[in-house]
Amino acid sequence: MNPSPHIEVRRLTKRYPSGGSSITVLNEVDLSINRGDSVAIVGPSGSGKSTLLALIAGLERPTSGEVYLDGRRITDLSEDELAILRRRSIGFVFQSFQLLSNLTARENVLLPLELAGCTHRESRVDALLSEVGLQERGHHYPSQLSGGEQQRVAVARAFATSPPILLADEPTGNLDSATGSLILEMMRHLRVEIGSTLVLVTHDPEVAKITDRVVRLQDGRVTSDAAGGTQV
Amino acid sequence: MKPAMSVRYMLRESRGMQGRILFFVVCLGIGVAAIVCVAGLGAGIEAGIRREARQMLAADLSIRGFREPTSELLEFLDARPGISRTSVKEMITMIATPGRAGAPGRSQLVELKAVGKDYPFYGELQIEPPSLLGRLLSETSAVGAPDLLARLSLASGDPILIGGKTFTLEGTVKSEPDRLGGAFSLGPRLLISEAGLERSGLERVGSRILRRTLVKLPEGSRAEAAEELAEELRGIVGNQGIYRIETFADAQPALRRGLRRIERFLALVALLSLLIGGIGVAQTVRAWLAGRMDAIAILRCLGMRPREVVILYLGQTAALSLIGSLLGVGLGTLILIFISDLLAGYLPVTGFEAFQPGAIFRGLVLGVGVALLFGLEPLLEIRKVPPLRVFQRSLEPPRPTRAWRLAMLSCLLAGVWLTASVQGQSLWRGGLFAGGVAVASLGLAIAGTSLIKLIGRFPLRGSAVWLRYGLKSLARPGAPTLSSLVALGLGVLFVVGMSLIERTLSTGLRAELPANVPNSFLIDVQPTQWNEVEKLLRAKQATSIDSVPVVSARLAAIDGKPIGELAESMGEGKKSWALTREQRLTYAQELQADNTIVEGALWSLDGIPEVSVELDFARDLGVELGSVLRLDIQGAEIDLTVSSLRTVDWESFGINFFLVVEPGVLESAPQVRLAAANLPAAREQEIQDALAMQFPNISLIRIREVLEKIAAVLSRLGLGVQFLGGFTVVAGLIILTGAVTATSLRRGREIALLRALGSTRRDIIAMFLVEHAILGGIAGVIGSLGGSLLAWTVVTKGFEMSWVAHPKFLLSAILVSVILTSATSIAAGWPALSRSPMEVFRGES
Repeated sequence: MNPSPHIEVRRLTKRYPSGGSSITVLNEVDLSINRGDSVAIVGPSGSGKSTLLALIAGLERPTSGEVYLDGRRITDLSEDELAILRRRSIGFVFQSFQLLSNLTARENVLLPLELAGCTHRESRVDALLSEVGLQERGHHYPSQLSGGEQQRVAVARAFATSPPILLADEPTGNLDSATGSLILEMMRHLRVEIGSTLVLVTHDPEVAKITDRVVRLQDGRVTSDAAGGTQV
Repeated sequence: MKPAMSVRYMLRESRGMQGRILFFVVCLGIGVAAIVCVAGLGAGIEAGIRREARQMLAADLSIRGFREPTSELLEFLDARPGISRTSVKEMITMIATPGRAGAPGRSQLVELKAVGKDYPFYGELQIEPPSLLGRLLSETSAVGAPDLLARLSLASGDPILIGGKTFTLEGTVKSEPDRLGGAFSLGPRLLISEAGLERSGLERVGSRILRRTLVKLPEGSRAEAAEELAEELRGIVGNQGIYRIETFADAQPALRRGLRRIERFLALVALLSLLIGGIGVAQTVRAWLAGRMDAIAILRCLGMRPREVVILYLGQTAALSLIGSLLGVGLGTLILIFISDLLAGYLPVTGFEAFQPGAIFRGLVLGVGVALLFGLEPLLEIRKVPPLRVFQRSLEPPRPTRAWRLAMLSCLLAGVWLTASVQGQSLWRGGLFAGGVAVASLGLAIAGTSLIKLIGRFPLRGSAVWLRYGLKSLARPGAPTLSSLVALGLGVLFVVGMSLIERTLSTGLRAELPANVPNSFLIDVQPTQWNEVEKLLRAKQATSIDSVPVVSARLAAIDGKPIGELAESMGEGKKSWALTREQRLTYAQELQADNTIVEGALWSLDGIPEVSVELDFARDLGVELGSVLRLDIQGAEIDLTVSSLRTVDWESFGINFFLVVEPGVLESAPQVRLAAANLPAAREQEIQDALAMQFPNISLIRIREVLEKIAAVLSRLGLGVQFLGGFTVVAGLIILTGAVTATSLRRGREIALLRALGSTRRDIIAMFLVEHAILGGIAGVIGSLGGSLLAWTVVTKGFEMSWVAHPKFLLSAILVSVILTSATSIAAGWPALSRSPMEVFRGES
């Protein structure tokens, strides 16, 4: 029996009102991602990459079409159900880190564990901070950390609950290339360890190389879908 | 999300917002302090009254009335084993020092109190020199209040005339357990014995004497025993309202009712400052949440549900408001300790306890409640923060719909109504207060919006930079102009309104009386004395002399229904008082000029005794044309039919009555005369002295003195109201400080830019001044207008007095508003003004 895809997008369309008319950001996109796969979504600015990511995460509702996670249609779920789905199943890494400025690095990593009601939280945080090389900086606030360090905290936070799905939006966009590579390596390592499915949005071919598959979007449509590494 | 996690996150979330917490806490603390002050004062006095109830009654039970207690009543008491009784009689009368060589001595109106030998059963009668009351008060001795001795230049051992009989002043009376400190009185106290009163001859037909029979139960009797005895006595005296029976367990119901009335009013005044604080809370919560939108989006992204986000921030607001309220409770209790010392002489109780758990609880509940009420709208709006904001920072929550805003406004109004009803102890009063605040806020908000629009359209091209920038700052998007204006304006409105009421009433009371109206009343004139009295008055050049017969009576029934039943159905209050009071009747063929018949016709029924009733009094009695009033005149009953209703111009100071009877009915009833006259100002004392010598039973009451005393009481109350009103202004200024601090920090970069471009610090101060002087000016003008309207309504409709304009006061109020607002803004904006431009730019990089 063929297992159902981990993430499946069917005829997904998103339009935004603009003045009297509307702008179509995604136009009947179909996409299927299997469990444990890593996929890079690439394309020029405005091609709908981040919107696709937001729709997969249930952060936004499509104009039409459906999103299935683990065979479950999420487009009809309530805000509360979506929130619970995110806390249990999805980890995020953002371009601008999105750490909570009034929490220490340690507390930022702890938060998703607390929300999900996990046990052995403290030891998990220790392990993750050590994994990203920040075991000594746990008590620092984001403003006291460099950009790279902040993104390492964000990576630790994203993997804290060992989420089956990891969504990353330009994770190296605000970092120099050396730091970016380090972050990508950490993400790759943790993903393999946990076995998460990765969906990564980027416009950087080097970043896309770490994935098994590259999907190219242009004007809201999928223009190519190929094995990763070289095809961008 | 589990509660423990909520608390943990709440604590983490409060990091780095100390400044905002301080502002929030102070905004709320001021209002809560005012609430605790008023509630604590009320509760402290009430507790004191209950604690000292026996002393304040000087007995376990008292039977009070203007009539002698019946022999049946006294026999009943005497037959009960272990019960002792004594009596107290109080009246207003004139006393004098003996004259020399035929000339009269100096006279003085006093509150005379004649006491039986066991008085008081409880509490202490303090007399100087401290000696046994029994010895001091023989039938020829008296003790007087220190101010009586001072006014008549008397010393212990001096003779005085009471009812024309000589008494010896044996000392001074310092305090009586059953006389309230600071209470309104017509004259200083003079204390004599019961036998002394008999000897004075003042107790005669028509004399208005308040008689109290004080009863002491056997030692160790409980409140229930006093209550049982009171019930039995009520069964004997009936329910006509002739006698009022009170036990120590009742703890001065009339006094407590009066105090509660004052407390209700002051409690609403205090609530106003809390509500103004609420505006500050709303402002802070809105600004705080606006800065937390990114964090909220991240939390949503990490899987926090919308309601969990609301609960998180709601909990934080509640925790902060609890801190603010606790601070307010502390401040309020401190003020209570301070003012209880300050007011010691005016409080009706001796031991005042400033720590009042009930008042503290009320402060905490109202503080937290008002904070949540005002913070509710911004708190609920965060449900709508889009988690997508993590991708697009520019995404804002959708604008609330009109219906949602209306629902929130209704919720706010309902909350204000509820809190005002708690403070005013009635839904109706609460509604009036909430309505008033809503109308005033709406007026201020409309003015603010118009101002912003007007400035937006104002052609400012070519004007000085500081003027242009100052004006535009008022109209910039997100400027707190509206909330500052409403907060300040409400404060000004209230303070101006209350000051104007007090000023207008005091001015009215202290104004010179017109020359052609009576300025003095003569009471207890025996009919046989009148011709001589009139002669004396004319000889001394008194004018507008008038005199009418007065018959004392009680209502026995209306249209056949006994008064007791009618009064019971009315409960306590003005109507019940109208039914059971000692009625004063007169009879006359024609009415005075200041009376106008509005219904029926005077003496129009043939062969039926008639009565003309004053319109408002008729409403209180519940009578109309054709109603039959049965009156009990010293035991004899007569029926009078209401044949006309009339209005009276009470400001004329003429002798007027609620009930005027047709001639030919009361002529043979026991009666006295009441006279009025205009005495030449320079001869008032001389005439009073002459009357006191020749007619010692007659008392002269000078309206001027009475009005002065009322005005003095009014200014004492006015001082209290203005003290509380000060809280509203302080609350308004704190909100302004917060608004200025927030905007000046936000404007830090613009200020730095302007300075880098060559503006001097003076230019920037000028910009601040323009902006805030306009804000203060508008708040001052609208607040003063609103305050005038409030005062005008109270003075002309409530007190039915004529309105006096106070333009200078209004101008100075506006000026003070401008100065205070400008000064506060400069003080609050100073840190932003004093930073060097480079410091600001470097901080941003």
